[in-house]
Amino acid sequence: MTTTTSLDRPAAPQPFQRVSGARKLKDWVATILVGLAFVVAVIPLVWLLVTVITSGYRALMSSAWWTHSLKGVLPEEFAGGVYHAIIGSLLQSLVCAVIAVPVGVLAAIYLVEYGRGRVARMTTFMVDILSGVPSIVAALFIFALWIGTLGFQQSGFAVSLALVLLMLPVVVRSTEEMLRLVPQELREAAYALGVPKWKTIVRIVLPTAMSGIVTGVMLALARVMGETAPVLVLVGYSRSMNFNIFNGNMTSLPLLIYSELNNPTPAGQLRIWGAALTLIILVMSFNLVAVALSRFSAIKTK
Amino acid sequence: MKIKRHAAALSLVAASALVLSACGSDNNTPGTGGGSAAGGAPVACGGKKALKASGSTAQANAMTRFESKYAQACDGYDINYTPNGSGAGINEFVGKQTDFAGSDSALNASKGETDKAKQRCDGNDAWNLPMVFGPIAITYNVPGVNDVALDGTTLAKIFSGQITNWNDPAIAALNKGKTLPDQKIVVIFRNDQSGTTDNFQQYLQAASNGAWTKGAGKDFVGGVGEGAKGNDGTSAALKNTPGGITYNEWSFAKAQNLNIAKLVNLGGGDPVTLSADSVGKAIADAKTKGNGNDLALDLSSIYGTKTPGAYPLVLATYEIVCSKYADADTGKAVKAFLTVAATTGQQGLDQNGYIPLPSSFQSKLTTAINAIG
Repeated sequence: MTTTTSLDRPAAPQPFQRVSGARKLKDWVATILVGLAFVVAVIPLVWLLVTVITSGYRALMSSAWWTHSLKGVLPEEFAGGVYHAIIGSLLQSLVCAVIAVPVGVLAAIYLVEYGRGRVARMTTFMVDILSGVPSIVAALFIFALWIGTLGFQQSGFAVSLALVLLMLPVVVRSTEEMLRLVPQELREAAYALGVPKWKTIVRIVLPTAMSGIVTGVMLALARVMGETAPVLVLVGYSRSMNFNIFNGNMTSLPLLIYSELNNPTPAGQLRIWGAALTLIILVMSFNLVAVALSRFSAIKTK
Repeated sequence: MKIKRHAAALSLVAASALVLSACGSDNNTPGTGGGSAAGGAPVACGGKKALKASGSTAQANAMTRFESKYAQACDGYDINYTPNGSGAGINEFVGKQTDFAGSDSALNASKGETDKAKQRCDGNDAWNLPMVFGPIAITYNVPGVNDVALDGTTLAKIFSGQITNWNDPAIAALNKGKTLPDQKIVVIFRNDQSGTTDNFQQYLQAASNGAWTKGAGKDFVGGVGEGAKGNDGTSAALKNTPGGITYNEWSFAKAQNLNIAKLVNLGGGDPVTLSADSVGKAIADAKTKGNGNDLALDLSSIYGTKTPGAYPLVLATYEIVCSKYADADTGKAVKAFLTVAATTGQQGLDQNGYIPLPSSFQSKLTTAINAIG
């Protein structure tokens, strides 16, 4: 066992060697695969947007589109607008938010700050189940309860109730996550100064988490706005305006799209695409407001 | 500070909501199609301000026209029609959610619908009033061919898979002097439950001299072909399928520029082109099977028509109403609306693929409408 040492060779291999061909190839393949996956994910999105915009933008150009309802408009003439449906969509989802947000936020506060033991586990379990309920099931449940058992008439409010069932788990979940992100040290610091628990939550924890909660609420709102199943079951179609959420037929954008599908004329097709584009714009502006509000209400760190 | 900022954001939202709610309008310029209210029977407007109805999608566009005409004839009165399918329409009517129902088929006594409707009307009979007639077009896509004629027997064989090629002798016999290509027939059917399918199959039963043995119903039972959803689905599928044949509501066939087959009715004779005239002849022959003012149609009298020049394949859609409403206001408004629908409302219906009522039938309808209490 003799070892010959060559002075030409370094004693230890160089720490940074040239990248071998095999590794380069792997890197290259992985880059291409990831790139391809990105493209595949984006294609349907862009395609959808382009289709909706090219088919529907002409409808939005008409000045009556944003300010008039469809009352008295014949199937084959392009006139009037979707004002009544925009109002319906906004009212139904806002009433839904008014109910779902306080309940959801309070439930999340309970789960994060107070919940121990069986009740908390039950609540979490129920929220999980609720988030798995398909929208048509929520709609049928409200139909059976509100209209079938309690004997109320179909109305926009019934739709709001069904939307609450869909929105609640999303609000609870996102608020819960946001509250858990608040550092424990902040709470401890407050306790150390003798601040009671409820005041710590109201003045320290909630403001810290506010921007995240607002974003979560807005995203949940954007999601329920496009729901179709509840409006098909729980409220009737109307071509005129109705501001009364408790009485009468009230159109929302998804319901308008569904109903106009029966109209094969070019005017009807244009209305469908226009309403789809309007819905996309509406949901998108909600998302933008969410971003703006979260910037706006974020705690100043310095 | 923070509270103030949130208050500012809230007030911004509230303000924009206020602005939004202030600028809307229901006031559209009245439609130009179909002339004015002049020439119609005088309408006794009154009663409930906003009627509510739902049901058949096949009459949705006719209802839109009626709605427009009703608002013109009776200022300040409105009707809301939700096109959610005949079954839902009858359910909501029976459940007192709506004031009347639109349906592709008359109330079915053996399913208990007649009794339930009678109960809903507080013991008064419910009437089936056929208000809107929409022909069903047999549409096909054979490259280079645009005037095929067919009859009930051939259609029954095509839609049950006994005739599979466009150059079949049975088709050739109906199209003398034309050459049809050697092309496989692709049947396209509605795979959703549909009154159109039901009526088409009832037609095959009535007009095929026994060649159709599969029965009727809202599902297609022919056992061949490819399914597509809705009238829009089948018409789009047909455009992409050379050799295809399907059945569509006339409005969709016209809007999509599909080739429409001529039909030979049971009387033999020349093939009949689908038009307002030729369908009107078939409707004028229609017999009712209901009692008195219940105008439920005996559809086999239309499908089996032998009148020369009558196009036999028609979908009749009904308004299902109470003969007497417990709430007099509702009754008055329903009566006013139906009067408008049966008279001035019929003008211009052909623009949406419907057939205006022939005058003989119109008078039967107005008698029934006037008898509603």
